[in-house]
Amino acid sequence: MAANFWTSSHCKQLLDQEDVDKVPQADSDRGITPEEFRLVKIHMSFHIWRLAQQVKVRQRVIATAVTYFRRVYTRKSMTEYDPRLVAPTCLYLASKVEESTVQARLLVFYIKKMCASDEKYRFEIKDILEMEMKLLEALDYYLVVYHPYRPLLQGIVNDTYKMDLILIHPPYMIALACIYIASVLKDKDTTLWFEELRVDMNIVKNISMEILDFYDTYKIDPQRGLPEDKIAPVMNKLPSKA
Amino acid sequence: MAVAAPGQLNLDESPSWGSRSVDCFEKLEQIGEGTYGQVYMAKETETNEIVALKKIRMDNEREGFPITAIREIKILKKLHHQNVIQLKEIVTSPGPERDEQGKPIEGNKYKGSIYMVFEYMDHDLTGLADRPGMRFTVPQIKCYMRQLLTGLHYCHVNQVLHRDIKGSNLLIDNEGNLKLADFGLARSFSSDHNGNLTNRVITLWYRPPELLLGSTRYGPAVDMWSVGCIFAELLNGKPILTGKNEPEQLSKIFELCGTPDELIWPGVTKMPWYNNFKPQRPMKRRVKESFKHFDRHALDLLEKMLTLDPSQRISAKDALDAEYFWTDPLPCDPKSLPKYEASHEFQTKKKRQQQRQAEEAAKRQKLQHPPPHSRLPPIQNPGQPHQIRPGQPMHNAPPVAAGPSHHYAKPRGPGGPNRYPQGGNQGGYNPNRGGQGGGYGSGPYPQQGRGPPPYPGGGMGGAGGPRGGGGSGYGVGGPNYQQGGPYGASGPGRGPNYNQGGSRNQQQYGNWQ
Repeated sequence: MAANFWTSSHCKQLLDQEDVDKVPQADSDRGITPEEFRLVKIHMSFHIWRLAQQVKVRQRVIATAVTYFRRVYTRKSMTEYDPRLVAPTCLYLASKVEESTVQARLLVFYIKKMCASDEKYRFEIKDILEMEMKLLEALDYYLVVYHPYRPLLQGIVNDTYKMDLILIHPPYMIALACIYIASVLKDKDTTLWFEELRVDMNIVKNISMEILDFYDTYKIDPQRGLPEDKIAPVMNKLPSKA
Repeated sequence: MAVAAPGQLNLDESPSWGSRSVDCFEKLEQIGEGTYGQVYMAKETETNEIVALKKIRMDNEREGFPITAIREIKILKKLHHQNVIQLKEIVTSPGPERDEQGKPIEGNKYKGSIYMVFEYMDHDLTGLADRPGMRFTVPQIKCYMRQLLTGLHYCHVNQVLHRDIKGSNLLIDNEGNLKLADFGLARSFSSDHNGNLTNRVITLWYRPPELLLGSTRYGPAVDMWSVGCIFAELLNGKPILTGKNEPEQLSKIFELCGTPDELIWPGVTKMPWYNNFKPQRPMKRRVKESFKHFDRHALDLLEKMLTLDPSQRISAKDALDAEYFWTDPLPCDPKSLPKYEASHEFQTKKKRQQQRQAEEAAKRQKLQHPPPHSRLPPIQNPGQPHQIRPGQPMHNAPPVAAGPSHHYAKPRGPGGPNRYPQGGNQGGYNPNRGGQGGGYGSGPYPQQGRGPPPYPGGGMGGAGGPRGGGGSGYGVGGPNYQQGGPYGASGPGRGPNYNQGGSRNQQQYGNWQ
């Protein structure tokens, strides 16, 4: 990709955790708590992931889509921007930006197939295209996202997209935290290696703790995502399409 | 992140996100045209700042926001360089295009248009070069070339291929600054995403041999070929490789640069379409002979740019180090260049068309026999009957519909055989721009020995021909935008052979013979 992370909008737009966790007014008016706000984002990240597996796009596209999704809700409310529509639209937009375009009708086909049982998740092409324009605006047309990927560690890195880490920390710190977790799990002594990097180990460890906390707290089934009884009541608080 | 509270207007600055309405601008004049959309010169009503609005049409898009626009925005949002056009913001039109009141129609917002807002540039290189009577001086050409290469080097360092370098995409302002524009075909390239690029890019006349031979793995060298074509065009006074279609383009390249073989271009015989276009008989390279009137350093550099094998072609960085830019006459300071009345290819063409119509009318009445317009090579020629006028202020010059241009202060000194006429100061510039109108007096023009060659036949007359459709400038370059598959052989490239604009032009200008 052009330019580099340090001069990118991504770098300049990194947020504080408080800003990311803040529930938009319209949503809190509907009784959505910060915890529930977070749950919806986890749930919809899974939704994007599953849809992406159907349409078969590169890992990078998914990561970009989820980043868009999370970024939108630092600026817009879920009440106004239905996450059930925003999620597939993020995937649609990300596929274009990452040069692996998925046709809108294909996406709609798989949404219908995947969400046969739940009418609220099903949308038409025109819904996606209309939301795409709103998304571009909400994202202020900043479309390039940098990711902490290298083929190694993909599993842990993927899991970080179930959190808002990508909005808060630069990708290299997230990558280091993933390396740290991996090294601890594998009983590898990396103290020296990290010392040589001269990064702030406190931050690396904090991010690592957040990731581990996340695993602990949500105990998510990697295939099915959040349990239905946990997410359904929250989703019901949100208005669904007219 | 500073965000205005809901319902509260943030008047001091543009909002940090979310887009403003196009109503913030007053459209003044159209400066470009294509099926992709139009480009307007516009004024921001609040600040009176002049900008260029490039419309992205959204209707008839089956796949939503056009991927070409996404590429362009993506790339422009992160390129920041004095020789790359600056995307200021993106604004939306509040409703259907023809809503006279401009009042937003709820629920219909996104049926409208999106506009990209650019800094306004007065000219594009083709438009400027095609001005009747226009001649560039050597320091001026060096100045433009250096800026072109500097901007392109920046793109390449940042792993962006422009893929449509041509005169009408090089914008020039009245401060003499040159900026690369129209990134609608640009692509990021990186080591992990190597290959599978479409070869249907770059306007035909500027398209390198490797693309014409079907390569889908290519790099920055493709842009450098285009730069070479432009460079030669600037020195030569007219485009150098003017094929009407791909086979003809390739054979013109071979006629000039010789036929490639495994010796000079290892791997060429394995190129996808090599066998289709295999030259009938070997031809010798004759760049030096064809352009022997260019000065030595110019010719050296041109040879390196027009190298057939992309892996041996000179890079932008190395080109900037070429002797050419470091020998007298040195490139001039952009600010020392004269100011010209605005000219974009779109406008020049329109003017020329009007002129032509007038002339045709006159011809029919047998009142006169108009001389065909042709672009003048940067050559000094004594007694050139037109385009010489006494100095005249550049600003606010009255629009000249088609007459002689007004930027040459005095009649040129005797041409003669000397390569760089004895004109005292190397630049031959009068830095007092505006006031005296350039003063190219005895400027250093590369010597050609005889008068500027008239354009061959008609046809090519100036901006006609397949230069990529309707005068792009900011890059609405005609109906040739490819949409669809990212690697697509799906979308037709910008090649003029696919392009109604080109054939339309040919019709128009073809009458000249």
